[in-house]
Amino acid sequence: MSEINVDDLPAPNVHQDKRGRPAAIWIVPLIAIAAATALAVRTYLRAGPTIKIVFDSAEGLTVGQSDVRYKNVPVGKITDIDISDDLDEIVATVELSRNFGKLAVEDTRFWVERPRIGVGGVSGLSTLLSGAFIGVDVGISKKRADHFIGLEKPPGILRDQRGSPFKLIAKDGGSLAIKSPVYMRREQVGSISDIALAADGHSVEIEVFIDAPYDHVVTDQALFWNASGMDVTLNSSGLRLDTQSLATVVAGGIAIGFHDPDHPGKPAKADSKFVLYDDRAHAMAVPDKERLALAMRFSQPLRGIGPTTQVDFDGIVIGNVDRVRLGFDTNTRAFYSDVDATVYPQRLGDAYDSLVIEGGQLGKSGPEMLQALVARGLRAQVRSGNLLTGQNFITLVILPNEPKTDVAMRDDTWIVPTERGGTDMIQDQIASIVAKVDKIPFDAIGGDVHEATRAASTLLGHLDHDVVPDTKKMVDQAQLAMEALREGLAAIRDNVAAADSPIQQEARTTLEQLERAAFSLRGLADYLKHHPETILRGRDSGPEPHK
Amino acid sequence: MAARDGGGALKTADELGVVACPLCELVMRAPHGDAACPRCGEHLPRVTRRSLTRCWALVLAATALYFPANVLPMMNTEQFPVRRSDTILSGIKFLWSAGSWELAALVFAASILVPLTKLFALGFLLVTSSRRSTWRPRVRTKLYRALEVIGHWSMLDVFVVSLLTAVVQLGRFASVEPGPAVLPFASVVVLTMLASASFDPRSIWVAKPAEAR
Repeated sequence: MSEINVDDLPAPNVHQDKRGRPAAIWIVPLIAIAAATALAVRTYLRAGPTIKIVFDSAEGLTVGQSDVRYKNVPVGKITDIDISDDLDEIVATVELSRNFGKLAVEDTRFWVERPRIGVGGVSGLSTLLSGAFIGVDVGISKKRADHFIGLEKPPGILRDQRGSPFKLIAKDGGSLAIKSPVYMRREQVGSISDIALAADGHSVEIEVFIDAPYDHVVTDQALFWNASGMDVTLNSSGLRLDTQSLATVVAGGIAIGFHDPDHPGKPAKADSKFVLYDDRAHAMAVPDKERLALAMRFSQPLRGIGPTTQVDFDGIVIGNVDRVRLGFDTNTRAFYSDVDATVYPQRLGDAYDSLVIEGGQLGKSGPEMLQALVARGLRAQVRSGNLLTGQNFITLVILPNEPKTDVAMRDDTWIVPTERGGTDMIQDQIASIVAKVDKIPFDAIGGDVHEATRAASTLLGHLDHDVVPDTKKMVDQAQLAMEALREGLAAIRDNVAAADSPIQQEARTTLEQLERAAFSLRGLADYLKHHPETILRGRDSGPEPHK
Repeated sequence: MAARDGGGALKTADELGVVACPLCELVMRAPHGDAACPRCGEHLPRVTRRSLTRCWALVLAATALYFPANVLPMMNTEQFPVRRSDTILSGIKFLWSAGSWELAALVFAASILVPLTKLFALGFLLVTSSRRSTWRPRVRTKLYRALEVIGHWSMLDVFVVSLLTAVVQLGRFASVEPGPAVLPFASVVVLTMLASASFDPRSIWVAKPAEAR
């Protein structure tokens, strides 16, 4: 290896020494650190409070995907789902977005929103695709909380809904469900917010929420009835079908009404209790205070009479049949039917009041006064209410020609003798009408009609073949005639219209002569009027007929 | 041992006080400070603290960005109706649990192992070089060469994301969007590449002046 003399080597071109200046390269890590810090700060700021919600089941919930929505706005995400220590529940850890930390106050309610097919339509349909999410109803408290018990079903009323809740007691829930609508005058004014069997199992407690401002329309006189499904009534007044809206047919609903809409009473307090009637008829019926048992014995067949058959008095429905029992009279060896009914005398209104007053003077009670009507000819009759449907009803009428029998009350029961009539007679008449209709020889008539039709058809064919060609010829000739006529008319016009035409001159002359003749005639007439004797005697030397 | 630590018969150019122009290979006296070749004007690289400083700065910058690159989501995928955003680690976890453990291993190697190795290795080289350590310069040189080779592979994630973003755009049904971690991650890769490029392997062979003289 040869030695190299370092000093012989060329010297490099030395630049100015920059050692005093800090190297520009340090800007790079500074920027990097700044960027990393900025990202960290931003991520930290974005994170909101973390809360824990306990649910019965995590069905449909997925970590990292299911979000928490308030008014359908995502406000947080499920970051973890865990089982509680006692293995009974699940605990969902939710990270709320920073701005929505204020949602988590003490009385905030959370529930899992899943697709539900319910009454007011289908809700949560979007969750079919997106999976379930947690719904939020923000509380009114100001106190923050981070541990919540989730609801298993969406709350019926959200806190920001304005209106009032009312409680209804029903015999059964029917087809009602949460969110079933509540109608007033067939307009929806609220919905069912909760429905549950009473603790004692004897009734169903329903909570309805009436939206503002209609909650003030609900008064202490308001009547609630179940408007679910179709209300089909078939009675002696015919077929009646009632629904509130198509939705209630499927989903059920409640209707509100009043006995007397003009005097609705005072607005009811929130949470007031009401009775939920089975249907409109029950709700609207005037409360019946006094009941009276009514017994009748009919010797005729009672087709169309059964429980709920109406009993009326002079056209006013005063009660219903409770039961019909068939009996056998061993003496007369004939069957009879005993009909028991319940009537409400007060439905007779003023008439009953007068009877009661009259009875008061005689020392008799109201029912006794009614019993006394039998002596005046009161009888029960079965009548046909509706010939189409065969519905019958029982009517109490006073038949003045009936023998005056006096029947006493037994066991506080109003005993009314019966009388055949009404239906039987009508049925006989109808039978005879039907028999006559039967006798009409429809077959023969049909045959005749058929014959006539065939003859007409032949005639028409004949017309078509024979008459139509002739007619065509006639029309042609008529056209020619019309031509000739038009020419003749033109000639006549020429002759007549010209002022010096012979016809014109002759006509004028004739008219002048006629005028003169008329003048003479008038003179003669005048003369005769003054001298009628000239007809007999001839004219004397009087004045001339005209001057 | 003598050949390995460079303290034997062979002298380094630095010890002799000479440098060679990297372009025209003119041998000249070692300059003090910034200098250029007198023949061709090429900038003379120096075994100085300056090259180490540059490397240090880049490594620090890469380290700073390494955290957001791993903590923030790399990719937001939406496969209607499922929307997920994955960080590098959660993506690897997903691949692993989905059964593609080979892919998971590959992504783990390319996205976690390689950048981390590069940062640690560069840090190790820098520390030893700054202290003019004499510890196994050959091993360290091999390490440096290895760094240059594996560095090519660390952009894998960025490639995957940019490719998927361009390919998977099916409107509402499926889409892939780059997450906020892509930029820091790409920066980490670029910065480590620049750092390893700016590292002068000769500094490995510059022994402490006290021992050399």
